[in-house]
Amino acid sequence: MQLSKKNKGRVGATLCLITANLFTVTGLHAQDITDSTNNPSAQDSAESLNVYDQPASTPGTTTIDSAVLFYKEDGGRIQAIEPMVSLTHNTENDSVFSAKLTFDSLTGATPNGAAPWKSSQIFTSPTRQANGDDENEGSTGASGGTIVIDPITGQRTLEYTADAFMLPLDSGFVDQRTALDLGFTTPLTSGTKLSLGLNGSHERDYNSFSGRASIAQDFNNKTTTLSLGVNYEHDVSKPFFGTPTPFSVMSGDQKGPSQNKNVLSLIAGVTQVMTRNWLLQFNYSYGSVTGYQTDPYKILSVVDPTTGAPQTYLYESRPEKRTRHAFYAGSKLALGSYVTDLSARYYHDSWGINSITANMSEHIPIGDLMYIEPGVRYYHQSAADFFTYYLPSNVALPLYASADSRLDSFNAITLSLSGGYMINDQIELYAMVDAYRQSKAGQKDTLPGNNQDLKLYAGTNALSMMTGVKVKF
Amino acid sequence: MKKTIMTFGLFGLTILLGGCATVQPWERDVTARQSMQLNKNANFTSAHEHIYFSKEASAGGRSFDGGGCGCN
Repeated sequence: MQLSKKNKGRVGATLCLITANLFTVTGLHAQDITDSTNNPSAQDSAESLNVYDQPASTPGTTTIDSAVLFYKEDGGRIQAIEPMVSLTHNTENDSVFSAKLTFDSLTGATPNGAAPWKSSQIFTSPTRQANGDDENEGSTGASGGTIVIDPITGQRTLEYTADAFMLPLDSGFVDQRTALDLGFTTPLTSGTKLSLGLNGSHERDYNSFSGRASIAQDFNNKTTTLSLGVNYEHDVSKPFFGTPTPFSVMSGDQKGPSQNKNVLSLIAGVTQVMTRNWLLQFNYSYGSVTGYQTDPYKILSVVDPTTGAPQTYLYESRPEKRTRHAFYAGSKLALGSYVTDLSARYYHDSWGINSITANMSEHIPIGDLMYIEPGVRYYHQSAADFFTYYLPSNVALPLYASADSRLDSFNAITLSLSGGYMINDQIELYAMVDAYRQSKAGQKDTLPGNNQDLKLYAGTNALSMMTGVKVKF
Repeated sequence: MKKTIMTFGLFGLTILLGGCATVQPWERDVTARQSMQLNKNANFTSAHEHIYFSKEASAGGRSFDGGGCGCN
């Protein structure tokens, strides 16, 4: 695992920040330990006023938790509405049964991978068949689609136009997703817990199934918990026009059959009660992804090496194997009814992507029944080895290439505010709002020729809101 | 080899952390609070993980790194 000089600097800065925080909390904590040692069974009055200071575990109860997530990207890009409902039953002997149903409805425009140009560009829509029952048949303009009928074959193809100087967006993105998750946790012996789960999701062009098992063992008078888990996922990609051959020319033709992807994930972690008020967690996760990982809807511009003018558009190509490693450290420190949550993650994968994530939030009690939690998250990733904004026409095609902005190098900042309010012992209302902003990291590339005014970076900004209610009985 | 080092590292860390633990069972009141849970609000957590998985290249660390959707 290699870190670039720049990444070493970023990782170092993040670790320094986290270390400084941990030293701070350790220092503060020495005082807390003294207090609790003097009076071990008592809570000071400041710590027991807020309802969120009550124990989380409530054997013999059932909880229904329902929420709706609203997600909206700037510039008319993706919008999603995601209602979800879950049922959790805690038995008297500490077993937990859970079921969660989630429904996603997505619409909007998404970058198709092509580079912008100084005149308008016409693309074939990959997401909608131009058949007789298409709701956008015959429509143009705002919906972005025009049906073109081949005079010889009679084949109907839906086309859309990207305006000059604008990032090409496919505005025909429409999808629904339904997901069901089932979970079961039970104590095997004193200090040992087994968790099992199943998950399945269905989209019109994608299915996913997974099963998981994990075991957690307490040590050291239940102050240390070691956990190990495995998850196996099988996905089926069945794009509307079939799966295109890598680097084939964009077209509305029917393409290849469905493709599969398998993901084996392992996770190992330690959770440690450091002091009466302080929890630490360390995790390592490993993922091995094999099979079809190309985005069947994404294309690349092949451009004139001198002028940058687009000559044709090819479907992208990604490796069929990817190995992921992630290291996570989290800390929760209570001071009175306040809780400081800090976490950091380092990620590396075999596609050449390195990333760091740092998260900080503060649980602030408000009166007896409420809390708010402002938070900030920083994320940085390097680009995949095969990421490129375009392919010059005078160079032989590489083995792999993608212009997907999610594989680009970028920074992201999230500012969040969440909170909860206990109406009574049984009902909690909660909400959160997140502002997410991506920005290009490192040098900004340009097309060949004098094209500095064409912006190639396709990152996004988004606002998400969630509101929910939890009822316990 | 890496996995072996990782496994031994985690066990070593467990023993090391266990050695510095001074918290008695009757002092677990604070860590048992709702506000101290590692996954305090499951819907907040799942919404964040779903959004970040669909907009960023990284996954895993906090939990399994599968996505369960065609969004990435």
